Amino acid sequence: MQPLLKLTNIKRSYGAIQALKGANFEIMPGEVIGLVGENGAGKSTMVKIISGFDSGFTGEYELNGEALHFSSPIQAERAGIAVAQQELSLIKTMSVAENIFLAGDKVPTFATKRSLSKMAKPFLEEVGLGHIDPSISTDRLSVGEQHLIEVARLLAHDPQLLILDEPTAALGESDSIRILDMVNRLAKRGKSIVYVSHRMDEIFKISNRIIVLRDGESQEPRQAADLDVNSLVELMLGRELNNMFPARVAKQPGGVPMMKVQDLWPDRFLERISFDIYPGEILGLAGQLGSGTGDILAAIAGATQTRDGNLVFKGRNFLPKTPKEAIDAGIAYCSDDRKHDGLFLGRPISDNLSSAALKRISTWGVRSDRSELEMVTENAVKFTVDPARLPQEAGVLSGGNQQKVALAKWLAINPDIILVNEPTRGVDVGARAEIYQKLRELADEGAAIVVASTDIQEITNLPDRVITIYRGIQVGEIALEDMTAAAILKEITDPFDETGLQEGQTV
Amino acid sequence: MTSATTTNNPNFVQRLARDHSPLVIALVLIFMAVCIIGAATAPNFLTLFNFKTIIRDAAIVGIMAIGLTFVTLSGNFFLLSMKETAALAIIAFATCMAAGLGFPMSFLITMAIATVAGAVQGLLIGLGGNPIVVTLGAAGLFFGIGSWWSDNLVVSFRRPHGAEWLGTGSTFGLPNITIAFVIIAIVAELVLRKTSFGRQVYLIGANRAAGRATGHENFAMAIKVCIIASVCSAFVAVAFSAQVSSAHVNYFSSEFGSSGDMTIMVIATVMVGGNSIMGGYGSTLRSSLGAVFISTVDNMMVLHGFNSGPRVLAVGLMIVFSIMVFALVRRGSRAEE
Repeated sequence: MQPLLKLTNIKRSYGAIQALKGANFEIMPGEVIGLVGENGAGKSTMVKIISGFDSGFTGEYELNGEALHFSSPIQAERAGIAVAQQELSLIKTMSVAENIFLAGDKVPTFATKRSLSKMAKPFLEEVGLGHIDPSISTDRLSVGEQHLIEVARLLAHDPQLLILDEPTAALGESDSIRILDMVNRLAKRGKSIVYVSHRMDEIFKISNRIIVLRDGESQEPRQAADLDVNSLVELMLGRELNNMFPARVAKQPGGVPMMKVQDLWPDRFLERISFDIYPGEILGLAGQLGSGTGDILAAIAGATQTRDGNLVFKGRNFLPKTPKEAIDAGIAYCSDDRKHDGLFLGRPISDNLSSAALKRISTWGVRSDRSELEMVTENAVKFTVDPARLPQEAGVLSGGNQQKVALAKWLAINPDIILVNEPTRGVDVGARAEIYQKLRELADEGAAIVVASTDIQEITNLPDRVITIYRGIQVGEIALEDMTAAAILKEITDPFDETGLQEGQTV
Repeated sequence: MTSATTTNNPNFVQRLARDHSPLVIALVLIFMAVCIIGAATAPNFLTLFNFKTIIRDAAIVGIMAIGLTFVTLSGNFFLLSMKETAALAIIAFATCMAAGLGFPMSFLITMAIATVAGAVQGLLIGLGGNPIVVTLGAAGLFFGIGSWWSDNLVVSFRRPHGAEWLGTGSTFGLPNITIAFVIIAIVAELVLRKTSFGRQVYLIGANRAAGRATGHENFAMAIKVCIIASVCSAFVAVAFSAQVSSAHVNYFSSEFGSSGDMTIMVIATVMVGGNSIMGGYGSTLRSSLGAVFISTVDNMMVLHGFNSGPRVLAVGLMIVFSIMVFALVRRGSRAEE
C-alpha cells in the first residue's frame, strides 16, 4: 500500500540551531501514528512542516505519491491536511455552529443560525458531541469539549490527515478519554491521524505505529505492539549526557529539615501533599506539563491563592499569602515565565538585581547608590553576567542571560530556600550549564533548592532527590541511587499501569 | 562570557544621556526655537516680567502634574479627579479661612481632606479597581461635596489674611508660588531617584507582576501615589485661593488655563513631558519641563493675540507630537520583547 504522506531526509535549521537533521516520516491511510520525543527533539518543527506552516526546509515531501512543497498553511489545508494546535483558536462568544464554520467554506452567502446548526450537526456527531445543541455559546462547554469542537471545525474541511498536537495536555481524565475515543472512531472511518503527546499511556492506547524523534533525527517507525514504556523511553533519550550537570554525591538521609511542607493543598490538586526540604540539597519536583509541580512552588512562595496548608520554617508555622511575606521569611521563587513576573524588562539590569532587596541598600528609605552598585556587581559576577552591562535594559539580554538575572536577583536577599520553576526554559546550552553549576554551589553553601521541571533530562540529572507528581497527585519519591529517566518517566506518565504493560518487560 | 570585574560607574553626563533620551533633547531644542521665534516676533516676549509670568503660569499646572506623575509612573494611569480634588480643597480652605481659623490650621485641614480623598481612591485602585472608572466616580463625589458645602456660591475671606505670602507674596523678586514649584520639583525628583520608594514606583510601573513577585505590592503603592497627587492638587488650590482671597467649585473647571479644564491640562503636561502612559518610564523633571514648555507656547500665542480656540489646538498638537516622538524613540532603544 502506498503511504498517504511520506517525508524523506527533511532538514531544517533556524540560524545556528539544527532542528531537524535529515528526519523521515510516513503515515498510511487510516493509520494512527504516535509522534514522540523530548522537548526540543524536533516534534513541533515536524508538525509545522507537515502542515505547511514552515516552508523553509529541504527534503522530499510526498502526498499520495505526488511531490509537493507548500508555501502556506492554506495550501496544506486545501490538500487535506489539518492541524489542531495546542492553543485553542475558538471564538468563545460565538455559537458552536458558527465556530465550526468560521472559515466560511461551503457556507451559503446567506445562512441563518438554524441552517448553520443543521449543517454543523454531522460534524459534532463525528467527534462524539452529537448531544450538544450547536446554537449554544462555545464558552458554555468544558475545555475538553472545546478541543473536540476545534477538531469538528477541522473535519468540516474534510481532511485526509489530521494532526493533533498535545490535545490532552490541558485536559482531565474524562475529557482525555473522549479525545482518544474520537481518534479511534476517525481512524476507523479511514482518516490518518498524527498524535503528538508526552503521555506514554495515550500513545500506547491509540497508536498503530510510533515514530521517535531524537535531536532532530528520526528513528525507524516501530509497531506500538513491539514496544513498552521502558524501551520507548530509551529510544527517546538514547543520547549520552555530557558534563552539563554538576556531580552529585549520595548524602546520608536524615538531619533536620529546613522546611516541613504540611498538608499543602494548591489549586488543581486532588489531595493534600506533604514533604520535607533539607538544607544543602536540590530537591526535584518531576511532573509533566499541567501536572501541578509549579503550583506547589507558587503556593509555598505565596504567589497564588492556596486552599490550605502549613509550612514549618525557622520555628514558625505559617503559609505566606503574598510573595512579600515569603521573601521576608527568606524564600525566593522564580516562576516559569520570567517575562511575566521574573524581570522588569524595561528597567536596567542593576535595578532588576536589586529589586528584591531595596531595604538592604537603603537607610531610612534613602537608597545608597554605592552599596547598590557593590551588591549588584557582586551578584552579577556570581551568575556570570557581565557587570559592564548593568546599566542596560534587561530586555536586550538573550534568554539565557535573562534567566541568569532573574535568578541572580534573589541572591540579594540571601535566601534559605530557593524555589525555581523550569530553571532553564528557553535557555541555551552554555547558560544552562552555568545555571546548574550555580544552583549546586548555592546548595553546597547551605541553601535548600527546589526545582520543578518538565524537562526529563534536567530532572534526572540535577536533583539529589525527586518527588514525582502525576495530574495533581503526589506519586512517590525517588532517591539518588534509583534515579533514572525511565523510573521518573514511568511515575509521571503512567504511575498506575494504565497502559496495561508490565514494567521491566524487555524488548 | 565571564569578564573582568570593571566597576562601571557612569558619570553625570552619561547618566543624563541614558535617563533622558533624545526626547528631552528634542523638547529642549524646540523650546529654544519657540523662545527665539517669540523674541523675534513679539516685542514683549523677552522681558523679565513676561518670563516670570510664564513660570508663574507653569507653576499652577506644574505642581499638579508633578503629583500626577507619581500615579502615571507607578502604572496606575491617571486620576481624572485632579480638578475636583482641587475644587473640594479650595472650598475647604476658603471656608476655614473665612471662619477665622488662620492659615496654618486651614492649610492642615485642607491637606487632611486631600489625604483622605487620595487614600480612598488609592484604596479602590489598589484593590483592583480601574483607575479611570474609580477616579471618574470620585470626581463627581468630590465636586458634589464641594458644591453642596459652599451652596455653589463664592466663598471669600477678607484681606489682610495669613495666606497672602503664598498667594501674592514674592521673595527676591520671584513669586513665592514659583519658588514653591521649583522646590517641589526638586524634592519630587530626589524622591524618585534616591529613595527606595521612588525605585518601587518605577519597578511596579514597569511590571506589576514582577513587582509583586519581588515583594512590592501595588496595593500600598496605589494609596501612596494617589495621596501624593491629591495633596499636590490641594496645594495648588490653597495657593490659588490665597491669591484671589476667595473660592468657588468652578475655579478649576472654567476660565482656567488655555483649555478651560484643569484635569485635561495636567494630563497634557504629563504627556508632553514624555512620560510613559503605561508607567515605569519617565520622571517628574519631565513633567516640570512639560509645564514650562506648554506655558511658554501659550504665552507666545497670547502675546500674538490668539484667542482660546487656537491655543487649545496648540496644546493638542504638542501632545500628539510628544507621543509620536516618544513612541519612535522607545521603539529604537528597546529590544523586542
